[in-house]
Amino acid sequence: MELSVNGRMRALPDDLADPAMPLLWVLRDLLGLTGTKFGCGVAACGACTVHVDGQAVRSCVTPLASVATRRITTIEALGSADRPHALQRAWLQHQVPQCGYCQSGILMAAAALLAADPQPSDRDIDAAITNICRCGTYPRIRAAIRSAAESLRSAERRPARSGAPAAPKSEPRSEPASKPGPKP
Amino acid sequence: MKRRGVLLSGLGLTGALIVGWGVLPPRSRLGTTATLPSAEGVVGLNGWLRIAANGDVELAMNRSEMGQGVHTALAMMVAEELDVPLDRVRLIPAGPDRLYGNVAMLLGSLPLHPSETESGRESSFAKGGQWVVAKVARELGLNVTGGSSSVADAWDVLPLAAATARAQLLNAAALRWRLPAAELTIADGVVSHASGPRAHFGELAKEAAATPPGDVVRKARADWKLLGSAPPRTDLAAKVDGRAVFGIDVRLPDMRFAAIRHCPMIGGSAGAVDVDTALKLPGVERVVRLGPYAGSTAGVAVVGRSWWHARRGVEALRIGWRAPPGGPIDTGVIEADLLRVAQAAAERGGGFPFHRRGDAAVAMAGAARQFVRTYRAPYLAHAALEPINCTARVVAGKVEVWVPTQVPGMARALAAKVAGVPEDAVTVHVTYLGGGFGRRLEVDVVGQAVRVALETGGRPVQLAWSREEDMTHDFYRPAGVAVLQAGLDAAGMPVALRVTSAGDAITPRWIERGLPHLAGPVDTPDKTASEGLFDLPYEIANQHIAHVATRHAMPIGFWRSVGHSHHAFFSEGFIDELAHEARLDPVAYRLALLKDMPRHRAVLQLAAQKAGWPGHGTPRALPAGIARGVALHESFGSIVAQVVEVTLADGQPRVLRVVCSADIGTVIHPGIVAQQMEGAIVFGLSAALHGRIHTENGVVRQTNYPAYRMLTLADTPAIETHLVPSTRHPAGVGEPGTPPIAPALANALFALTGKRLRELPLVL
Repeated sequence: MELSVNGRMRALPDDLADPAMPLLWVLRDLLGLTGTKFGCGVAACGACTVHVDGQAVRSCVTPLASVATRRITTIEALGSADRPHALQRAWLQHQVPQCGYCQSGILMAAAALLAADPQPSDRDIDAAITNICRCGTYPRIRAAIRSAAESLRSAERRPARSGAPAAPKSEPRSEPASKPGPKP
Repeated sequence: MKRRGVLLSGLGLTGALIVGWGVLPPRSRLGTTATLPSAEGVVGLNGWLRIAANGDVELAMNRSEMGQGVHTALAMMVAEELDVPLDRVRLIPAGPDRLYGNVAMLLGSLPLHPSETESGRESSFAKGGQWVVAKVARELGLNVTGGSSSVADAWDVLPLAAATARAQLLNAAALRWRLPAAELTIADGVVSHASGPRAHFGELAKEAAATPPGDVVRKARADWKLLGSAPPRTDLAAKVDGRAVFGIDVRLPDMRFAAIRHCPMIGGSAGAVDVDTALKLPGVERVVRLGPYAGSTAGVAVVGRSWWHARRGVEALRIGWRAPPGGPIDTGVIEADLLRVAQAAAERGGGFPFHRRGDAAVAMAGAARQFVRTYRAPYLAHAALEPINCTARVVAGKVEVWVPTQVPGMARALAAKVAGVPEDAVTVHVTYLGGGFGRRLEVDVVGQAVRVALETGGRPVQLAWSREEDMTHDFYRPAGVAVLQAGLDAAGMPVALRVTSAGDAITPRWIERGLPHLAGPVDTPDKTASEGLFDLPYEIANQHIAHVATRHAMPIGFWRSVGHSHHAFFSEGFIDELAHEARLDPVAYRLALLKDMPRHRAVLQLAAQKAGWPGHGTPRALPAGIARGVALHESFGSIVAQVVEVTLADGQPRVLRVVCSADIGTVIHPGIVAQQMEGAIVFGLSAALHGRIHTENGVVRQTNYPAYRMLTLADTPAIETHLVPSTRHPAGVGEPGTPPIAPALANALFALTGKRLRELPLVL
């Protein structure tokens, strides 16, 4: 069996790749991608969050069978050393992590949020980032998501400057975004 | 004098028994290259520092990075003193030598009252006690990351080690160039002279190692470039792209994974185990029975090809569990017992007196009125996000363990004991810790992992607990009760304070399970049992602060800020009640009791000013439905005040804003301090609003996060941190932000609702 992870098809050992095996353990123990973390095993903490076809999914309760034909992205491919994701830059700018253990999952949840909604309101951020950080980095997480959203917006505006007038900055919306919570 | 006699004789006896320290010469903490030898391409200069061929500086890192920023803060001390860029200080693991032990943490275990440790009025008891303990601590060499002590401890060592290395490098260059050392300068790791000669550290290292340092002088504060600034933390780049390796991320060739089920009843054991179904499952390889290790409950582990396979195996086991010999633990019974014990002791003046001043009994009897209240706190779990784990490999009498631990030396000792090998056959690799909070001061999982690794034929095995095992088999913050009694004068000011608390003492239990060779036949008084009560800064002329040390079967351990975590709630809630009784403003009331404590006053006034407390700074009017509360507390040498603004949402408390001020002594990195205060506040709010562990039929009922709630982003208030400038010795940062938040919130809720909450968690 093969699985599409971070833009590459990866072979899984037939004797171990059980259809019921949660994606988390496929990534960590069969593929050696340890950036995705185990925190609770019941989709409560979000440390295991990855993208499945671009959607944030809690991989500890996501059976391998349900993602066999989907595109999976983990923290290892959120950005690259020369082209970090805007969130990764913002995370360093705001010095967000402490112990760091939950941060992969929070970054992946935040990336899915910004991909779906480049201008999230505070309430949108609250609704999308339901991960647990025991170190309490939340105030900086919020600030970093805001600055990443801002930098993505200005990156979008930049090409417009040469020709057409820049798109007006719309007011942040206040209705909550759909919650990318646990999905089986 | 009786109290002091007991404490000093306990300390002295401990020291004499262990090392015969009285006859030993003073132990230098600088160390030698015998401890940190030169290696291929690197030259050792002392026990802490080596110089690489390219001029990079290698620092022997003896403290665990668990989020508190210690790897950055300690490297900054070296970079400053050597004038080398921070990113050129490379960390290498410190070995097991006692040079790397923690002296400051043991000093912090002395039950000294702030009135005898403030600058300029240190008592001879304080000085003598500190001298004895420092000496014992150097001989013991316990390598512990805890007690908010890492920076304070390193401050006495690393700048000196780096200044010594600097002097050697300068002298070596002076000899080589035949120039006066005083005319040489160092910038960016390069030694140079105005006349032209220049050489980087790597080019001078060999000669420096053979050159005496002469007089060593630490850099003057006025010349600091790095200390006190906020460079990016050195560990964070690897924490935003999944590269950072925590214990649970260790991967070794041909590795196996193990899961565990402990007896659900704490302290119980496994009877018959039916392994047939489990062993038939694919990917399951073996089953290993595990006895108790370092205080753990007995259980059964399953080894498999992935952790999921192992976990499935564990779930397929059929195990006949046996209750512990003393019967199932009942936290409800324990909590009722604590209440009874505290109240009985309060009536007859029982308990060990940690602090006595004046004559509390006489003053109480003569007071215009008496005011008595009882406060309570429950058991709490640590719930660090990285589940408890350890990876072990045993090959040909050699043991290697990879473990996220706060106590590598204790891990090594237990690994050696379980494997039946001498300690020098054990290598401990400390990984990043996915949170510590005191849970990783325990080594139970190391014993378990090594035991399992003895069965895997030399293959490495990683034992990881599920979240359920982690939460139901913790070493919990002990429950506590205190009866607080004030004698008030006609104006409502306290002339007498009696506090009688009851609760289990943590330190003796921790020593028994982790350092059994140091355990005494009887418990000596444990400062953590009374800290935050006996050491209040308030000027109350007559005090009697006593604690009854109980002993129950519920396993207990150190939890971020330890005794202060609940005692600050007791004492600062009670002080707030006294202010209310006196019809005085809570800030003004406290200030009136701190006339001779200028640092405490300054911290409280700064928080009040920044929060816009009426009468301080620019008053901030709060709309209806929002109220504020304040608390002030000293712990781990740092003084912290917090002002909380709270409202109700659907009848539940919602914290909107926290203004935090602190005097932590000299500030190494203000950004990390702010991070730690924010984190400590969120940690304390989770406990204040939701935290409670209890048992039913001997089993902990809270098994995972949904049942043991944490604050989330949506619940988190705005937090701002303000520091009082200081040139004192650096003090604690990781823990002191936690104690004041629960009482500040409770006091705010009282202001909002008129309901005084004297029990944690806070339920309206």
